[in-house]
Order: sequence, then C-alpha cells, then structure tokens
Amino acid sequence: MRGIILHTVRFIVFVLFQVLVLNHLEIQWGIYPMLYPLFILLLPFEMATVPLLLIAFALGLSIDVLSNTFGLHASSALIFAYFRPVIFKLFAPRDGYENTEESNIYTMGTRWFIYSFGLLLLIHHTWFFLIEIFKLNEILLLLRKIGLSVPFSFLLALFAQFIFSSKKKSER
Amino acid sequence: MRNLIAFFQRFRIFLVFALLQVVALSMYFTYSDFPRFQMLTTAGAINAEILTIRNDVTKHFNLEETNKQLQWENKRLREKLKNSLYKENKGVITVDDTLFRQNYSYIPATVINSTFDKRDNYMTIDIGKNHGIKRGDGVFSSRGVVGIVHLVSDKYAVVKTVLSKNINIDVMVEKGGSFGLLKWNGLDAKRGSISGISNDMRIKKWSKVVTRGGSGIFPRGILVGRVEKKGYIEGKPLWDITVRFSEDFRSIQHVYVVKNLMQEEFDTLQQQIPEDSEEPEL
Repeated sequence: MRGIILHTVRFIVFVLFQVLVLNHLEIQWGIYPMLYPLFILLLPFEMATVPLLLIAFALGLSIDVLSNTFGLHASSALIFAYFRPVIFKLFAPRDGYENTEESNIYTMGTRWFIYSFGLLLLIHHTWFFLIEIFKLNEILLLLRKIGLSVPFSFLLALFAQFIFSSKKKSER
Repeated sequence: MRNLIAFFQRFRIFLVFALLQVVALSMYFTYSDFPRFQMLTTAGAINAEILTIRNDVTKHFNLEETNKQLQWENKRLREKLKNSLYKENKGVITVDDTLFRQNYSYIPATVINSTFDKRDNYMTIDIGKNHGIKRGDGVFSSRGVVGIVHLVSDKYAVVKTVLSKNINIDVMVEKGGSFGLLKWNGLDAKRGSISGISNDMRIKKWSKVVTRGGSGIFPRGILVGRVEKKGYIEGKPLWDITVRFSEDFRSIQHVYVVKNLMQEEFDTLQQQIPEDSEEPEL
C-alpha cells in the first residue's frame, strides 16, 4: 500500500517536473534533457513486464498531452520499459535481485547503475530522437541530439538520486 | 486453438508492447497532419489550465522585456498617428473613408506554452474558437512572424511555429522582391532559410526579409528577419539563403493572430488558376 502511494506521487512529480521545468529549460545546441525514464527504472523489481509497459505508456502519454508531442514520449517510454527486464537480466548481480526492493544507485551500486541505466537511457533517447526527426538525411542532427542529451539526462538522474534517495540508505 | 493460446501466452509481453507502440506511433505520425483528438493536446481544457497556471507564475520574470517591446511598438504606431504628422498641403488631400476597407484584423493573444528545441515546435495561446480564430490563420508578434494556427479549441489554440519542418511561409526579400518559401533546419532557433530563389537574383546581405502575402495568411510586409548569409547549392541554380529571425522564440510572450477578412474571395480566385497536370497531355 505504501509503495502504491509512493509511486503514484512520484509519477505526478516526474510528469510535472518534465513538463513544467525541463521542457522550458532554455538550452541550445539540441540538448533536451528527459528525467522521467528514471521513474520507470525505480519501479519495483518484482513487477511483471505487462503492467510495467502499461504504466510506462500512461507516463509517456501524460507528458505528451502536456507538451504537444502526440505520442512521442509514450513510444519512447514503452521502449524503455520493454528493455528494462532485458538489461536487468544482462547486468544481474551474482546473487540476483532478491534482497533489493528498489533499483536506485545506493542499493545496486554505482557501477550497476551506470551500466544499466546508461544503456537504457541511450536506447530511450535514440528512439526518441529517431522518431522525432525521422529523416535519413538529417543523421548528423540526430547524432548530435543524442550525444548531447544523453549525458545531460544521465547527470540529471544522478543528481536526483543523490538528493532524493539518500535517506533510504541511512535507514538501512 | 491450444497452440494459438500458447502462442499468445508465450509472446504476450511482446504483443502488448507492439500494440501500445502502434497506438503511440500512429498517434504521433497522424497528429501533425490530421489533428483529431483535441483533448490530448495542450488545446484541451484541463491541460491548458495547468499551463495557464504555470504561465501566470513565470510571465512576471519577463515583464521588463515585454514592456520594452510593447513600448517600442507603441512608439512606432504613435508615429503613424495623424496628429503626429504635419500636413504639408492643407485642404488638398481629403481622406475618403470608402477608399479603404479593412482587409486584415488582428486579435491579441498571450502565449501560455511554447517550445523551440524540437524538430517541430508548437505553442499554445489563450484565444480560440470563441474569439473567432480558425485553423490556418497567421500569427505574428511585434518582432516578427511567429507561425500558423494549427489546432483550435473553444478557448485555446495551438500554433505551429516557424520552427517546424513544413511551415513553408511565402516570404520575399524586401529589396528586389525575389521570393521563396521559408524553411527551418531543426537546429538553431535563431536562423532559418529560404528556398527557391534563383541565383541570378541580386541579394544584399542584411536586407530585410518580409512576408509576401501570397497565400492571404499574412498581410504583405511583416518582418521575418534579415539575410545573414547566402551560398550556392551544388547542382542547382538557386541561392542557399540563411535568414536570421527577428523573432526570438525563446522569450515569446504576446502575439497577434491575423484574420483575413477577404480570405474567401481570395481563395475562390486562387482556385481558378489552372494547375499544371502531372502527365503530359497527348
């Protein structure tokens, strides 16, 4: 029960932060930071993939509705959610994920976070900009957008973890 | 039958994924051309409400800049007033009201949400059907051309800005009058380009680029920007002209929507132009 409330609140916070703050950051050079993939990463481990996909779809669609992207974020969030179990299996620690309830940087370690979240974020951003631009002759623009936005989003997610997840570590 | 059920169970994750993905992508690719579910954009009432609240907070940050702009525009308009002009030959010129008829009227609006870093950029404004605007009306601000109305709900409208793929506004270089279509390359919110100007035309750097009024959306002569650079396109007898927009899309607050009161007449006339047939007639 506590988990449901926590994740619902998080859902709203992530959507509003993306729509009201990140969408309005005035950075040039094609940088477009996206923080909401972190929400999908932070969903519980034991969650089955189908509800995961549905939640990701709802998350993406809420952002779309508020930023006139008509399904672009929904599609990218789906990609992220679809690859989450795959990547988790790929970087699984030796004793599995049994004792951990949430996949943040403190419970899983920095190395794991960089590898799995970094890779998922790369997939997500590549898909996002690929669909957004959708023109083969603008491949340089595409690469530039991916190359600049992924590190930015990653750092943002890292900071968000440092600020908001640190409390849980001291509880343990 | 059992096999079929087994198949669905086995691939249920992928099937759900594929289904949702098709929904999302078909929405994305059809929206920009045929807007259908208006609820799902910022023209929808609740969404617009949220963004209006946000704008109520952030609009004050730009108050000084906005005031300066409006003051500057007022100055320009004031200079055109009758009482700030000196009449050279009294009594010779008579102003006849029936000589002029209102062709364009303007409706002021406030921008409540806008982007400038996407491939196609849209903005939401706080007027809609109730104020008499419709899809296809032009939008400009005191600094220059902004875009074209794309979706309309009762109280709000979404504008497709100049910073989009297929905006194709009719523009011309003020000096010389050579004209082409305005394009945007997706990268720089400060610069666009004009395509279709033949390279035997003389074009001076920093000459003004204004709207041509060709499609009746904008009146003639609204500033778009200035020619910043021109180059050759390989294999084509055309200039590659870079325009520096006079509008700064990163800090846009107040705009005007253009209503062409003679659009209907204009359109019926335009429709009578015979189109070039694709296949040669035998």
